[in-house]
Amino acid sequence: MIVEGTYPLPGKPEAVWDLLMDPDVLAKAMPGTRTLTRTGPDRYEGTMAVGIGPITAAEFDLVITLTDVMRPESYTMLIDSKGRFGFARGAARVVLVAGGDGTALEYRADLQVGGKIAGLGQRLLDSVSRMMIRQGLEALQRELAARLG
Amino acid sequence: MTSRYFGAPILRLEDVRLLTGRARFVDDVDLPGMLHVAFLRSDEAHGRLNRVDPSAARARRGVVAVYTAADLGDYWRPGPLLVPPPPIPGMVFNPATQVPLARDKVRHAGEPLAMVVAESRYLAEDALDDIVVDLEPLPAVTGLEAALRPGVPLVHEQFGTNLAAWVRQTKGDYASARARAHAVVARRFHYDRGAAAALENRGVVAQWDARAEELTIWDTTQAPIPIRNGMAELLGLRESQVRVIAPFIGGGFGPKIMMFYPEEVLVPWAAMRLGRPVKWIEDRRENFFATTQERSQIHDAELAVAKDGKILGVKDRFLHDTGAYDPYGLTVPLNSQCTLLGPYVVPHYDSEFTAVFTNQPIVTPVRGAGRQHGVFVMERLLDFAARELGLDRVEIRRRNYIQPDQFPYDNQILFQDFRPLVYDSGDYPAALEKAVALIGYHRFVSEEQPAARKEGRHLGVGVVSYIEGTGVGPYEGARVTVEPSGTVRLATGVGTQGQGHFTTLAQVVADQLGVSVEQVQVSTGDTREFGWGTGTFASRGAVVAGSACHAAATRVREKVLDLASRLLELSPEELVLAGGRVHRRGAPESGVSLGELARKANPLRGAVTPGTEPGLEATAYFGPDRGNAANGVHAMVVEVDPETAAVKIRRYVVVHDCGTVINPLVVEAQIQGGVAHGIGNAFYERLCFDDSGQLLNASFMDYLLPTALDVPTVELDHVVSPSPLNPLGTKGVGEAGAIPTGAAFAQAVEDALGQEVEITEMPMSPCRLFELLERGGSGRP
Repeated sequence: MIVEGTYPLPGKPEAVWDLLMDPDVLAKAMPGTRTLTRTGPDRYEGTMAVGIGPITAAEFDLVITLTDVMRPESYTMLIDSKGRFGFARGAARVVLVAGGDGTALEYRADLQVGGKIAGLGQRLLDSVSRMMIRQGLEALQRELAARLG
Repeated sequence: MTSRYFGAPILRLEDVRLLTGRARFVDDVDLPGMLHVAFLRSDEAHGRLNRVDPSAARARRGVVAVYTAADLGDYWRPGPLLVPPPPIPGMVFNPATQVPLARDKVRHAGEPLAMVVAESRYLAEDALDDIVVDLEPLPAVTGLEAALRPGVPLVHEQFGTNLAAWVRQTKGDYASARARAHAVVARRFHYDRGAAAALENRGVVAQWDARAEELTIWDTTQAPIPIRNGMAELLGLRESQVRVIAPFIGGGFGPKIMMFYPEEVLVPWAAMRLGRPVKWIEDRRENFFATTQERSQIHDAELAVAKDGKILGVKDRFLHDTGAYDPYGLTVPLNSQCTLLGPYVVPHYDSEFTAVFTNQPIVTPVRGAGRQHGVFVMERLLDFAARELGLDRVEIRRRNYIQPDQFPYDNQILFQDFRPLVYDSGDYPAALEKAVALIGYHRFVSEEQPAARKEGRHLGVGVVSYIEGTGVGPYEGARVTVEPSGTVRLATGVGTQGQGHFTTLAQVVADQLGVSVEQVQVSTGDTREFGWGTGTFASRGAVVAGSACHAAATRVREKVLDLASRLLELSPEELVLAGGRVHRRGAPESGVSLGELARKANPLRGAVTPGTEPGLEATAYFGPDRGNAANGVHAMVVEVDPETAAVKIRRYVVVHDCGTVINPLVVEAQIQGGVAHGIGNAFYERLCFDDSGQLLNASFMDYLLPTALDVPTVELDHVVSPSPLNPLGTKGVGEAGAIPTGAAFAQAVEDALGQEVEITEMPMSPCRLFELLERGGSGRP
């Protein structure tokens, strides 16, 4: 499953970057995240719960590793999540492009989903993931606006 | 033989029990102290299994045991190869059978990793969460063609390839036929995966009686006797210590003839080990992964024809997906290879298939068992050839039929029963003419279709024919006993999954013994009642078990008449056996009842001379020389909305020849059910896997089954060509309805759309048909 898009955020890429590296902010940017802690320079671990179709509040253990980190321009998030309802894993490329007063956040995630969430939630996976990303980016925008404001 | 019941449309005797909820199914077995099982299954389709740690699950309250592959010790071993490949020269076969619990590697999503036994199913399911698994994902192999590309991941490393089998069978010299051809029609055909989707999923209950030293297994299997034999061997017991009961089963359709499934092997083992009854009932989600599936094939086929439409030869190269393991050998692709020839004279045939391993659930026979693939390819090629030659679809078939005087007709290749593919009897032109008349083909094409088109409606008709190899060996048996109550007891080894055995087999016996069918008590699928036999598959019950019942009943009849003759001091020729009594011809009030004779047949002191055998009882067996060939023609009228690609089936006609009919109601119901299955295969059902081997529609919310609204009532007619290969003259009918449906559907839909699309794939879902119409850019307003 590929999800991609561009989202405008206020502030310079540096400010956006710092925010994106903050686990507390990251947790807000990923709806359903219950805990997220930095466990290494480029590694975060936590849990999240997602509801997809007939599966409500499926809990996942989450490990995020950052690679190809080019501050403040781009990085790749390697996502590995597992739980009783299946797994989701893959890579999300994030590129920050300065423009005017703000920053355009370009993202492209290639995710592989398996287990019950794939077998039972397939019809909704696409729309749920889009919804989650939109909610996450809106949260990020609010956070940025608050910090910069 | 007085023929009162044989051939009569009597209502099914078992239906009272089934419809009033009094029939016992495996899930009805509820034993004191019974434990319940849940399996932890792999989410990954392909992965290296590094560790399974069940310690936390074992500590959970209510959990009695948790087993991983490591806990099985010597009991861990791959299942048996159920059907070894037939002796075809040059054949390649790489056997790899399923394992009870994955040990080093996982090869398809849903493969079991651990088994939890707990006080309830709820507790067992909860405990699955406690098991820690370290499973390292590997890239998966899913596509048929991708499986053989160099450098792809291997499902079974030991073979160095994903090739599971390669077989070539030829007849004549195709190349020379092609050189002489007026036209060669070549296409690529796709057939995708489907599920059997039986109403009842699988289930096993096992109970070890330590005092009697006996193991009882209730199992939804289609093959109780081989399961008994195999389980005795696996568990180190004598066969007589194991009793397998296959009670009423809510549909088999093939996957339940697959034997020694992991759950089937593990539940009895756990019951013995724990000393308590153990139960596992498959849920629907498990069924989508853990029960075998069918169908995926790609054919590159061509038909060489003469100018008059006569078939000169057929060449076919196809790929077959066997899934992660191939325990059922080559049965499915061999069925495709053999059934392609159909009812036609094909002088030259060159067919080669390659079976491949993929990281998908195991493929074994499902109703039709690959036959529909062969029929689809052949019937489509004939349609395309007719179009190219400007011939009528019905006419090209008519010109190529094997004629009634050509039987036995030798196709010169081997069938899945390892015997030559020789058709025993039939009248193919008669079946075609009846179907053409019944559907009103000529009037439809010349009047109804053009008239409807003027009104803006798109109607189409499809007419196709097929052969179904049925009634294969090796053998079945039956024991018939007259009891002192006058009841006739019939025991046979085949299990029943709804086919009507309690009625049809009783009909066979009742006539021989002059009793009413209600007086014949049938026992099927209980190894204690009858311990020899193979199982219910390949549309063989009525043929093979039916003939054995007939033989046993005939012998008992002789015993009855012999005893009565001595007792009444009349010669057997003077006696009549009817109404549950033996009497002197012309004097029905005289004589003696069957029950009385049964009592007399159990002699008291002083009544025995050396050699006396007690009882009015006989056991007999029947094994046919080879399978026989049922045949038929399906015709359907569809209406297609070219805007939405919705298809309505307006009429469905089947003219079927299954030889002598024991009970027309049962035959009609089998055909109606088969057509429902076939419509599902043709238009609705497709298991969608992604590139990583994940099944994307693992529920009935997304896996579409046809409903009663989508399946028309079949209009039926029969041709009767008795089989010379068994005393009853019967042929099989269980799969007939499902086999040519896709081919008929494709032809009818194309016809409705004025041949603006060409259908070379199955299933043809509404969405897919819409895509084809879009791509064609025609047929739409």
